Formats: sequence, structure tokens, C-alpha cells
Amino acid sequence: MFRNILVPTDGSALSRKAIRGAVQLAREQKARVTALYVAAPYNPRISDETSVVHFVSPQAYAETARITARWYLQAIEKAASAAGVPCDSVHAFNDLPFEEIIRTARRRKCDLIYMASHGRRGISRLLLGSETSKVLAHSKVPVIVCR
Amino acid sequence: MYRNILVPTDGSAPARKAIRRGVQLAREQKARIIGFYAGPQWQLPVYGEFVPPEVYSPKAHAAAVKKTATRYLGEVKKAASAAGVRCKCSYTMGDYPYAEILKAARRNRCDLIVIASHGRRGIARLLLGSETSKVLAHSTIPVLVVR
Repeated sequence: MFRNILVPTDGSALSRKAIRGAVQLAREQKARVTALYVAAPYNPRISDETSVVHFVSPQAYAETARITARWYLQAIEKAASAAGVPCDSVHAFNDLPFEEIIRTARRRKCDLIYMASHGRRGISRLLLGSETSKVLAHSKVPVIVCR
Repeated sequence: MYRNILVPTDGSAPARKAIRRGVQLAREQKARIIGFYAGPQWQLPVYGEFVPPEVYSPKAHAAAVKKTATRYLGEVKKAASAAGVRCKCSYTMGDYPYAEILKAARRNRCDLIVIASHGRRGIARLLLGSETSKVLAHSTIPVLVVR
């Protein structure tokens, strides 16, 4: 039923739980996994421009984001290869993670999005994470919300 | 991976879509479908000081809910038997459908809830249905939201 499962990650503990669930489901469904990490785009604050100490060049920022993405995406790739599930990784820059998640799902023809109920920013267990609820509101494909 | 899949229905078109998805997934996962309907609680129809002459009795209300439940859950049973999936159906009456759904999930040891993004009351496609968002907020098991 599911051929390509999109697994967005922000590296949080809950998203690791979603990774486990998604990979297990992918193995049983003989599906592939598309891992996604969305980083915020380069956006220096005005005050940073004047401060030599805190200034981050676009190159340095891109490098940091790349390393973070590698780190987070590798966790999914490892889990997938351990389960014998084919895995693609996507690293993108976007201010609105949910938009990138929906776009990647469309572009990569994913037929399921598997994500945690909240990630790093979720404060309360009773509230749904902001990106998760936005994905739920805008997605055209089914979404599994893992708690 | 999934053993018992809870499929709550309110008889709406989106719910029928969730039934189809749930049954398909259950067939592939060799899981059991638990069909569920939560009807409204009986209420004394008092409008301010005015009590209507013909009071709809609790008995008549229970009979009406049962009739509705049989019709809605019949769709689940039919879909499940057509796919050769084991199926158990139940209904209750309660003021808070989401609470009844979660209770049913616990009672039947469900490990997944398959629910439509909105049911009869969902107006805008962009908004998540009220009961669905409450189920998502309070559930401790994964929820598959079908659009």
C-alpha cells in the first residue's frame, strides 16, 4: 500500500522514535524511505553584521548546516540499512519546514509521511507540534503521527 | 507490526476513505480491524423554561444511536470481509467522541488509529477536524490521518 515513506527529522528524541516506526513499517510494506532534514536558510541578524566576533559567513553557515544534516540523516540511513530498506536523503533550506516537507513529499512521490507528534519545540505532551499540525493541515497524502 | 487497528467512523465520506485505507493496511499487516462509532449522549430537551410536549425518551435515543451505529459499522464490516480481514465492531454513547475513541483503543489494545482528517463537521479542507485534532493531542499510540 505504501511505496515511499517520507521521514522528516529534526534530530530530536521523538523523531528518533518516528524513525524506528517508519523503518519498521517500510520493511513490512517493502517500501523505501525518504529522509528529510530542513535547515533554516542563512539569515544573519543586522546586529551580527557589525559584530566581528559573531559574524557567520554564508559559507560557514552552509557548512554547519551540512554537518548537522549529515548527522541527522545518517541516523535514518543507518536504521534503514540495518533493516534492509532502501533510503534516499534530502537536505533542504527553508524558513517553513512544513512547506518543505509537503514539497518533498510531492516531488519524491511519497505516499505517506511518518513524523513525531512534536519535535524540539513541542513544550507540552498534550499539544501537537507546530510543524506537525501544519503538515497535517496541508498534506494531500496520509500522515502517521507517532507519539 | 500493527496487530489491532482502530477505525472510528462517523459515516461521512472522509471516514469511508479512512475505512478503505485502514482495511487495506490491515490486510497487508495481517492485523485486525476494530470498527468504532461514538454516538451522542441522550439529553433532556429543555430550551430555557420551555419543555417540549413530546420528549424523546432515552430508550428511543438509544435505539436511534444503535440503528445509526449498525449502519455505519456495517460499512466497516463489509469492507473488512471483502478484504478477508478480521473485524470487530462496537459503539458507545458519549459527549466527547475523542475520549470514547481513545477508550476504545485502550480497551481493544489497539496499536494504531486510522482516522479521517475531518468528518461531518469539517468545513475547510485546510483545517483539521476537531475530534481528529483532539485524538492526536491525547493519543499515546500512533495515529494515521487520512485525507
